[in-house]
Amino acid sequence: MGHKGHKRGEKIFSIDVYAYNSKINHWNPVVKMVLAIIMLFLCIALNNIYVSAVIVGLCLFITVGLGKIPLREYIIMLGIPLAFLIVGSMIIAINMDSVEQGLFGIWSPWGYIYVSTEGLVTVTNLWGKALGGVSAMFMLSLSTPSSEIFSVLRYCKVPSLIIELMNMIYRFVFVMIDTFMCMKNSAEARLGYVDYKTAVQTFGYITSNLLVVSLKKGSTYFDAMESRCYDGEFLFLENEKEVTTEQIICIISSILLILTTWLLAK
Amino acid sequence: MENPIISVRDLRYSYGGATEILKGISADIWAGERIAVIGTNGAGKSTFFLNLNGVLQAEAGDIYFHGEKITYSKTDLIKLRQGIGIVFQDADNQIIATTVRGEVSFGPMNLKLPKDEVVARVDKALTYMNLLDFKDRAPHYLSGGEKKRVTIADIIAMYPEVIIFDEPTAALDPVNVSALEGVLEKLSKEGKTLIISTHDLDFAYRWAERVIVFGRGEIIFDGKPEEVFQQDAILQRANLTRPIMVDIRNILIEKGILQNDSPHIKSPIELEQILHK
Repeated sequence: MGHKGHKRGEKIFSIDVYAYNSKINHWNPVVKMVLAIIMLFLCIALNNIYVSAVIVGLCLFITVGLGKIPLREYIIMLGIPLAFLIVGSMIIAINMDSVEQGLFGIWSPWGYIYVSTEGLVTVTNLWGKALGGVSAMFMLSLSTPSSEIFSVLRYCKVPSLIIELMNMIYRFVFVMIDTFMCMKNSAEARLGYVDYKTAVQTFGYITSNLLVVSLKKGSTYFDAMESRCYDGEFLFLENEKEVTTEQIICIISSILLILTTWLLAK
Repeated sequence: MENPIISVRDLRYSYGGATEILKGISADIWAGERIAVIGTNGAGKSTFFLNLNGVLQAEAGDIYFHGEKITYSKTDLIKLRQGIGIVFQDADNQIIATTVRGEVSFGPMNLKLPKDEVVARVDKALTYMNLLDFKDRAPHYLSGGEKKRVTIADIIAMYPEVIIFDEPTAALDPVNVSALEGVLEKLSKEGKTLIISTHDLDFAYRWAERVIVFGRGEIIFDGKPEEVFQQDAILQRANLTRPIMVDIRNILIEKGILQNDSPHIKSPIELEQILHK
């Protein structure tokens, strides 16, 4: 579940739209979830830069090649967690000691701060693992509508309270984003973002109002649900999607490819 | 004279005990009626509807459904909400599922019907509202008119006897309003009781056979549309104006083109027919 950034005034374009338009959304959701989880697990457990690279490539192939998600959009979406990751993990490459060592560094009052080859290797490995994991998760969320993911979780006996919370949060994020966009457009049309100080103030007004409006909407939603005999459990009709041999072949070949790469790289 | 399907006696309701919104509402509604409920914003129309299906619990007064008094027990409320469906004004405030099919299935699934029955009802409701092509689409990305159709299909799938529409034409373009009137005609032919709250007086005048006017929490008129729209005192009290066709008929009678007792004209087509005679 996720909602990508947006240009000024545009309607929010969420990951879920891609999932609906994906050419592989007719695959059985359990198959896709199993594949994604196995890839995630192998990526972290095997701890190998080549394995990570293979997984990133595999997910790229499945999402862009099979699912027909536009490549440019995929890279932009992947870029967001990547940016956080890079900035957050740079610190790991940096070490401090009392002697000069490593590739390059500078002296500081507390000691010699340097970057070593081992540090760089560790960080690159980390980036690879994280990118592989994120790719696997994107593969799932860009090809499977969230309602199907929730229903697989329900089937796995995840407590219904959690499923219902997920359902409601998912729906309400749309409501809140819509409300926020309406208020933002209205404020912008009245020069609410004309300079930094005003913009911050406007943002404050909108955010506090968002809570009130959302609570009110929540109450109206509840009335409508009660009018249709809602008694606490979210029950919807679900589509049955077949597991085909094609999908099984895809899973097995992906796993074999990953394991082969790992063995070769050792 | 058969018994009314819904009876309301001296209903009173105030949100949180502050101001009284409903000040003693009494009415009888018979099966198959086409009722327009009109009145200012804040007159109590939506509150009245939510009281009728038990979502809001009246502080005083009684509601009878099929002659039986409603207690607020779980079984009574389920009977009430299955039999009386409300299509709310803002489609975005009702749609909760992520596919149209899932959305329409919410009501029947809550009634704990067997899966085959649910599938049959959903397909029937989608066909009725011309939504079969949309069944796997995400409801929040549909247009206003399409969303409206989804919310109506939601209620139809529960097979209610009474359907209440809260300002259904508010956000619809003229083509969609015509389509809606077509659906209302279909529902009426099947014997469903329809109650529509609206600000569109021309629509109320041409569609309704009975008009209930709300003013400040009370019913200030309950009768034929032809009668209420000639009574200026009531119209003023309820902040209403006359439908265009009433004004036109009055002018034509004044100018001697039409007789005093000529039939009430509900639409331009009827006017054309009468003038041709």
